[in-house]
Amino acid sequence: MEFLGFPRPDGQVGARNIVAIIPSTGCVNAVAQQIEKMVAGTRAFTHHQGCLHPPQDTDRVTRTLINLGRNPNVAAVVVVGLGCEMVDMESVVKGIRESGKPCEGVQVHKLGGSLEAIYEGSRIAAGMVYEASKLRRERFGPEKLCFCTKCGSSDTTSGLSSNLVVGEVCRLLTEAGGTFVQGEVCDIMGGEYALKDLCVDPEDGDRIVRFVKRLYDHGIAVGADVRGSQMTAGNIAGGITTLIEKAMGANAKGQNVPIQGTIEYGNTPRCWGGRHIVATPGHGFENLTGGAAAGAQLILFTTGRGAPNGHPCIPAVKICGNKKTNANLASHIDIDVSSVLEETETVQQAGERLLELACQVASGTLTRAEVLKFDSAMEILIDGPVM
Amino acid sequence: MEKKYAKQIMEKDNVATCLADVSRGETVTVKFGGNETEFVANQDISFGHKIGIKDVAVGGFVYKYGQAIGKATQPIRPGDWVHVHNVVDHYEVI
Repeated sequence: MEFLGFPRPDGQVGARNIVAIIPSTGCVNAVAQQIEKMVAGTRAFTHHQGCLHPPQDTDRVTRTLINLGRNPNVAAVVVVGLGCEMVDMESVVKGIRESGKPCEGVQVHKLGGSLEAIYEGSRIAAGMVYEASKLRRERFGPEKLCFCTKCGSSDTTSGLSSNLVVGEVCRLLTEAGGTFVQGEVCDIMGGEYALKDLCVDPEDGDRIVRFVKRLYDHGIAVGADVRGSQMTAGNIAGGITTLIEKAMGANAKGQNVPIQGTIEYGNTPRCWGGRHIVATPGHGFENLTGGAAAGAQLILFTTGRGAPNGHPCIPAVKICGNKKTNANLASHIDIDVSSVLEETETVQQAGERLLELACQVASGTLTRAEVLKFDSAMEILIDGPVM
Repeated sequence: MEKKYAKQIMEKDNVATCLADVSRGETVTVKFGGNETEFVANQDISFGHKIGIKDVAVGGFVYKYGQAIGKATQPIRPGDWVHVHNVVDHYEVI
């Protein structure tokens, strides 16, 4: 279970060597995108938050941006600010620098315009990329691996094959000392008591139940019963009948592995190693950002009907158990596990095969979403209201 | 003709998941615990959708993964297509 990764000053190990361009507010996405075009090896982490938030959302967006910058796949960071936003650029820079990584800020108001910020940001980023390119991958063990997981465009095959295979990887990885981060509170809904029973610390079990209750109450506050809206037309067309059925299939991504901790959105686990539950939504853009902010190097992304999207910070390994989708969307799927449904391979065998691929991706093998550049969109979860 | 299979996950389950598109009147084979049991589909059932393998009365639980996943809103007979038209979610948030 060894892999070749980039050692970071804080002891984490990256699967990629990105120079991240992080806007502190969506208002300056255009600047970050121009820097990305100007300088090879950079990725713009564009989003649409950073201003007119209630204080708790400002705090959450700030800590999420800091922890994205501190993700091990990131070598160095240029933070782009406007100058009047709620998420303070200097706080983001300071938080990222605490990890020991190079990080600089460029502010449009201070520099006298977007062209000036693009120039200054590109100049700094070019130097960072040059320095980052001198780093070499080194061999590390599973205790330095952290995988997050997500299911998107699910169907019945997700709960009968791909999620079971990811569950096997969760078991193998955590037994070897690695970290596994599982979220999607909406998918946990219906299965929260099953997860509670797996918590090492009962307080974490209560927190998981509260994660679900919080989501439910939030829905009620805006006049929606999320138990109904969580089931998509695609889920139903694929054969999933109820939320509990979906939850049982989704929970399978962690098998019956004990749960070591819970994580609020935008935070990292309180200890490394073992299975952790993070309060991410199911919606991919916010979900994957939550996994990246938690410190995962890659996503084990199961899909039934074919979700092609990745994330700019962490590669997404697409795992599919639907024979039709594997044939129809072959260019978007990294590993076919329909063998589990066909009963030509056991869940254990498929799990070992997926773990081997994940270690290769952690060592530099590209995912389909990376090759196809289907990995530029991301978002940060806010509770609102948007003011 | 090639056999059409449905997957039962746990012994307690009263539904199995079809691994092929099945037409009304076709035979579906459920493999579980070394036994093969045959059912005749009472309706067309798509790949990934569930077929009833035991009788369920109105209000009775539908079991998959060994867990109650919903309640029957109509009587379910072996061979019936089991989905949103005859099952309702019973989940309550406390």
